[in-house]
Amino acid sequence: MTNPHITEPRIPDKPYPGNSRAGKPHPGNPQPDNPHAGNHTILNADSLVKSYKEGEKERMVLDHLSLSVAQDDMVVLLGRSGSGKSTLLNLLSGIDRPDKGSVTISGHNITRLDEKQRTLFRRAHIGFVFQSFNLIPTLTVLENIMLPMELNGFGDRRKHDAARNYLDEVGLLDRSDTYPDRLSGGEQQRVAIARAVAHEPRLILADEPTGNLDYKTGSHVTGIFHQLAKKTGSTVIIATHDQNMRRFADHIYLFNEGTIHSAGDMSEQADA
Amino acid sequence: MMPSRTTFTSGYISGLLWRSGIRYHFRRPWLYALSVIGIALGVAVVVSIDLANNSAKKAFLMSTESVTGAATHQINGTGRRLDEEVYRTLRTELGIRKSAPVIEGYASKPDLSRTFQVLGVDPLAEEHFRSFSSQQAGIELSTFMSGEITGFLSETTAEALQTAPGDTLELIAGGRPYPLLVAGLIQTKDKYSRQALENLIIVDISTAQIMFGMEGHLSRIDLILPDDEAGRPGLLRRAYPEPSSTRTGSSTDTAERLEAMLPDGISVVRSGSRTETVAQMTRAFELNLQSLSMLALLVGMFLIYNTITFTVVQRRPLIGRLRALGVTRGEILRMILGEAFIIGLPGTILGLTGGILLAQFLLQFVTQTINDLYFVVSVQQVAIAPLTLLKGMLLGVGATLLASLWPAREAARAPVRIVLQRSEKDALLKKNIPILSLTGLLAILAGIGSLFLPEETIISGYLSLLLIIIGFSLVVPLLISILASLLHPLAGLAFGLPGRMAVRGVVADLGRTSVATSALVIAVAAAIGVGLMVDSFRVTVDSWLKSQLQADIYIQAPGFSTREPDAGLNPELITLLREAPGVSGSHSVQRTEVQTSQGVDRLTVVETDRESTRSYQLRKSDPGLWNRFDNEPVLLATESYAFRNGVTVGDTIVIITDRGDQDFVILGIYYDYSSDTGLLTMSRMVYDRFFQNKIISGLALYTDDGTIVETLMSELRERSAGIQNVIIQSNQGLREASLEIFDRTFTVTIVMRFLAVLVAFIGVLSALMALQFERSRDMAVLRASGLTPAQLWGLVTGQTGVMGFMAGLLSIPLGVVMAAILVYVINLRSFGWTLQFQITPEMLIQAMLVAVTAAILAGLYPSWKITKTNPADALRDE
Repeated sequence: MTNPHITEPRIPDKPYPGNSRAGKPHPGNPQPDNPHAGNHTILNADSLVKSYKEGEKERMVLDHLSLSVAQDDMVVLLGRSGSGKSTLLNLLSGIDRPDKGSVTISGHNITRLDEKQRTLFRRAHIGFVFQSFNLIPTLTVLENIMLPMELNGFGDRRKHDAARNYLDEVGLLDRSDTYPDRLSGGEQQRVAIARAVAHEPRLILADEPTGNLDYKTGSHVTGIFHQLAKKTGSTVIIATHDQNMRRFADHIYLFNEGTIHSAGDMSEQADA
Repeated sequence: MMPSRTTFTSGYISGLLWRSGIRYHFRRPWLYALSVIGIALGVAVVVSIDLANNSAKKAFLMSTESVTGAATHQINGTGRRLDEEVYRTLRTELGIRKSAPVIEGYASKPDLSRTFQVLGVDPLAEEHFRSFSSQQAGIELSTFMSGEITGFLSETTAEALQTAPGDTLELIAGGRPYPLLVAGLIQTKDKYSRQALENLIIVDISTAQIMFGMEGHLSRIDLILPDDEAGRPGLLRRAYPEPSSTRTGSSTDTAERLEAMLPDGISVVRSGSRTETVAQMTRAFELNLQSLSMLALLVGMFLIYNTITFTVVQRRPLIGRLRALGVTRGEILRMILGEAFIIGLPGTILGLTGGILLAQFLLQFVTQTINDLYFVVSVQQVAIAPLTLLKGMLLGVGATLLASLWPAREAARAPVRIVLQRSEKDALLKKNIPILSLTGLLAILAGIGSLFLPEETIISGYLSLLLIIIGFSLVVPLLISILASLLHPLAGLAFGLPGRMAVRGVVADLGRTSVATSALVIAVAAAIGVGLMVDSFRVTVDSWLKSQLQADIYIQAPGFSTREPDAGLNPELITLLREAPGVSGSHSVQRTEVQTSQGVDRLTVVETDRESTRSYQLRKSDPGLWNRFDNEPVLLATESYAFRNGVTVGDTIVIITDRGDQDFVILGIYYDYSSDTGLLTMSRMVYDRFFQNKIISGLALYTDDGTIVETLMSELRERSAGIQNVIIQSNQGLREASLEIFDRTFTVTIVMRFLAVLVAFIGVLSALMALQFERSRDMAVLRASGLTPAQLWGLVTGQTGVMGFMAGLLSIPLGVVMAAILVYVINLRSFGWTLQFQITPEMLIQAMLVAVTAAILAGLYPSWKITKTNPADALRDE
């Protein structure tokens, strides 16, 4: 089944009204800190350090971790549970701040933004897929997908049509009026993926997206995720311990003791 | 460079967020309904008290205004009696035509439990004063002044009494029955007049004199004094030319000159001044009722705080998801406050409706108390004041938003990383226990400190109470933790693992259990506080009555209010009673009013001897008090009089006597609980030197040894039969009757105490329901692990019982402190009464039982619901 919405050109961006009036960037659309950043690098994490207090002890979770991600890539961060993958995603999305280091997304150093600016930045430019789906139980499936679009100011008709299209894309159009608790795990994750891509963010972060799914469902859901991300042109970073995710990755990083090591460029390996 | 995207400002709340929030509440209709009911009850109590107070006040003002009419001034005598000669002088010698004689009194219709104000007038003089009692209003002189006991009623009153002209109304006035012939009906044009006249009976002045034993006397003379020079009465101007330097021509000048022309002891006052004095009397009473009603709202606020906190705590992960999706803190705050609004608004509307209904119920108690303690007022219906409704609206919605602000703020401020993690939900509270407890202790200290503020007002007393309540509720989580650690091993010993689990469950969910427990603690503490205060009051009054009532038999003419001067006893009857066989001695009492330098004060005139002086429990006195009491112009003042007027032993009070202004020195302050407005007491011998009023309103008789009181009382009743209907009570009977009035005046307080506990019960019910429903997954795990429904039921009920037990235990110290503040501060500052503080163990046991029962009852439904739930459903993930 084709999705006419996805084959259409990207939804044109509109300037934030405040920009033209006050000449100041809106928190959701800050001026890039480095406008000359490489065209192909969408994300640059530089020497990130993050530690947490555990009782009296300080536990270093990320130890001078650096990472660059090219636009449209699907990056898989592989590591065992508790290795710091989720912490890294929190820093990349602006949910949390590093103790040291910086995160630059499309030339915007988000570590310099205040909490509200980071939230509005996240709202506009980042999509999330969680291990436990994290759908809003009091919204229907369709409304869950519409929510990020509504937060980003999409018109009623537009968000409704887009949500239906994405729902169709993940094969759940017939469940649009259902509440999440009536769906299976796999179905919930498909809705979560549709929600993450619906407002066409530049970056989608997925934390153990198959962690709560069986192998078959997980593979199916990941396939849909991969396909949608490619079609919308979003960059995807997946944190997982699921080795099966390797096959969808453009690039793989291995997590170990708060640092990461590249496991190679999968496209190059495939070419080879 | 990243292209810009269309975004919202954070000032906008997404429609989907609203929808999500509203659905959250509608998915839990029982919880939503309980929250709405909690606020509704809080608002209803406040509104109903306000409406009942205002209705009584409005009825009083309306009836006062209607009987005052267009009069600008009144001429009063001493002791609310004025020689009718003064009126003749006024009309004939001074030529003041705009004057009208008035006799005011009360008559009851016992079979209907209704009290009427009886206005004795001269229809010929009424034209300028009261439209309804003049000849122009259709009063026919031939029937009105027929020499019979005839009167006029308003049309609506006649309708309510199912009476028509020609019928006879059986009335009691001054203890005597009077068959009043309804001579005609007063036509009323508008609703206001109808309401104002609904308890009024108009009679001829001579009829009133007979009914109230005031032959040759008037209650007052109404005047219309002109403001301008031209309008001043000619004779008056001639008689009292004003000095050129003070030629202002105001009615006040005229009044002063007129007063100077009249005999000593007669005063000319503005018509409104008495109304203002009387209205002020109830100020402290109203404030105390309002404050108690606010207590119910405070408990309601805890309920809302509890509900919103619960919704926030339960939705922490959801809030985390929304924050991860880019919803700002401001939007979360507004979303939670918006949800609070959808609880507060219907709750408030329901509360306003309930308040009006509750006011109808409370009105009778409030009116009864006002009648018992202050003045006679008859209120037939609640006057719905828009301002009260607006106040209730603002209070309800405001209280909801205020109670929700903290949890909403907490929800908005929590870091996304934290709220995404479910296990963190109670960690925050546990981490905050030290700071909460410290803040609580500081609030308690501030509360205690505010008791010592130089400005000793009732407001600062209530502020202190509020700070202590809030402070204590902040310490509750710490106290629960401590209690749990003490109870844990005991519960284990008594009930094994389920016992330990029940206690542990309270601490494990401290975030919610502590709020629910706090609400219950405050409500039960309020019940203890008010209960102990009433008990202390009762014990004090009982002991005071025992000391005050030394005689064996008391006789008095029936009155309508302690504030109203009693009707006089028939002088013939007094002699007959005093001479009855078996009577060894007697004292007379007269209760009247005098115009003093402090205003219009109540005066008790007593005959004293060595025996009766012992009945006065003196707080402060001059050593020569009893030696000078019968011989010099000296007074005793009650504690509340001294408090209200800021006077003490040695101070002088000027009293307008029949011999002119006279200084009286206060030589003693004594304990008295019969009136919160205060009394002055004077020796009969001294009174007779300065006043001509010889009326005696009560007699205290002492019996011979060997005389049986009951036998003597029968003899006295026989002697009074046919002369005057008097109340004859034994010492014991009078004490019981006084305590009955005491209990009656506290009925409203008891009703409000009950309502506060009811609100708390709803709070605990909703908190426990919320808690247990949220724990349904944990319960399902236990069920899956092999716990039977009965065991689960025992576990849940055990946990709610533990919460109730803890709440009961914690409410005792708070309740005792609240009682102490009510007794030592609020009562003293409101009424000037010193009470003996009593802690009755029954009250504490009762409070404990209330707390445990409320908690167990509140836990019944959730535990039943949980045991009926299929574990598989509860174990399903969202």
